Amino acid sequence: MNRAVNAYADMVRRICFVHLKNRHDTEDVFQNIFLKYLLYEGSFESGEHEKAWFVRVTVNACTDWLRALSRRRWVSLDALAEESAVLDNPSREILEAVLKLPEKYRDVIYLFYYEEYSAVEIAKILGRKENTIYTWLSRAKDILREKLGGEWS
Amino acid sequence: MSGAQNVIQKSMEEIRASEEMKQNTLRYLEAQRTRQSRRFFQRRQYAALRYAVAVVCVFFLAGVGGYSVYSRPVSYISIDVNPSIELEINRFDKVVSAKGYNADGQDILQHVPLKNISYLQAIDRLLQDAYYSRYLNRDSQLVLTVVSDRSDAMLEQIQANDRFQAYGAVTYSSDTACMNEAHQHEMSFGKYRAYLELSQYDDSITVEDCHGMTMGEIQNRIRSCQGHNRGNAEGKNGPKGHQNGHSQSHGHH
Repeated sequence: MNRAVNAYADMVRRICFVHLKNRHDTEDVFQNIFLKYLLYEGSFESGEHEKAWFVRVTVNACTDWLRALSRRRWVSLDALAEESAVLDNPSREILEAVLKLPEKYRDVIYLFYYEEYSAVEIAKILGRKENTIYTWLSRAKDILREKLGGEWS
Repeated sequence: MSGAQNVIQKSMEEIRASEEMKQNTLRYLEAQRTRQSRRFFQRRQYAALRYAVAVVCVFFLAGVGGYSVYSRPVSYISIDVNPSIELEINRFDKVVSAKGYNADGQDILQHVPLKNISYLQAIDRLLQDAYYSRYLNRDSQLVLTVVSDRSDAMLEQIQANDRFQAYGAVTYSSDTACMNEAHQHEMSFGKYRAYLELSQYDDSITVEDCHGMTMGEIQNRIRSCQGHNRGNAEGKNGPKGHQNGHSQSHGHH
């Protein structure tokens, strides 16, 4: 279990971050995801398979959490209040822009740019059509480009 | 593209799970593992156990039910020469039990397996067997007696056997009351039927006497008594079968 927490904690944390409003929610979802892993009875063919499982479960858990609480689907600047202490200004600006994206775009942006999954892989993990992922990526990039201008280039 | 990627990566890099968050999670998981998850697993285990028990019960009952249907005899055949053998036949016409009612009968069954084949096969196997056919000679009499709700149909099939006819076998049908009486005397119901027939003519004959006699000897006694009766009581018909109606002759001598 220590291995899984060490291997995937940051990724789970980041996916939670792009979805959830505050640290308290993040911590709850974070713990539930690893509990799901603890109780998962299937087997993983590879490390990649396991990682993809974590991505999918985390995205779903965040979505479910927000749906259950009828929270807003996007996150305001408040979400960054707790993080701001550790973020420098450029990062904060970027993340704000990412967090203002519609929720479904945030996952693909994170998975595409940070985890470096291809659109095909993202489609597989999230259970969407490839074309959908291409569309979301394209729209998300347009929005970010518009907001961030030079920094995004 | 790489610029955008760098920007996102750099920003995201700063978002990390704190050590505190990891430790809290590990503690939470440990607690869940020892409490909730244990109960969860136990429930799963018991659920699995319950399913397993249910499945075993279903198979067991189906097996027991099937076996009891299979092993329950519905017809009985007594084959008597000197060896006295009784076959129990299930509703599928299979022999489910074969019992020797005298030493010769028991000896035959040691050599000729008759269980779990059809009664027609069993009779054919018996008549083909060299060990059994030693008992079938000019002085012997092969008698086959059936107790069944469909004894007529069974006897018809049995009589179609060429060997059966070649040995000049005679057939009778009897009933369960006669069979039960026979078993009380440790005698096959085929031989007991013959004893009852003989006792019609000879009051002095006992079951014990018949125990020591072959079917040929009993039949000879009956014939001689019948001849004697005809001589003494002119115009009277000799008895056919047992007076209690326990037996009904299908035989022909």
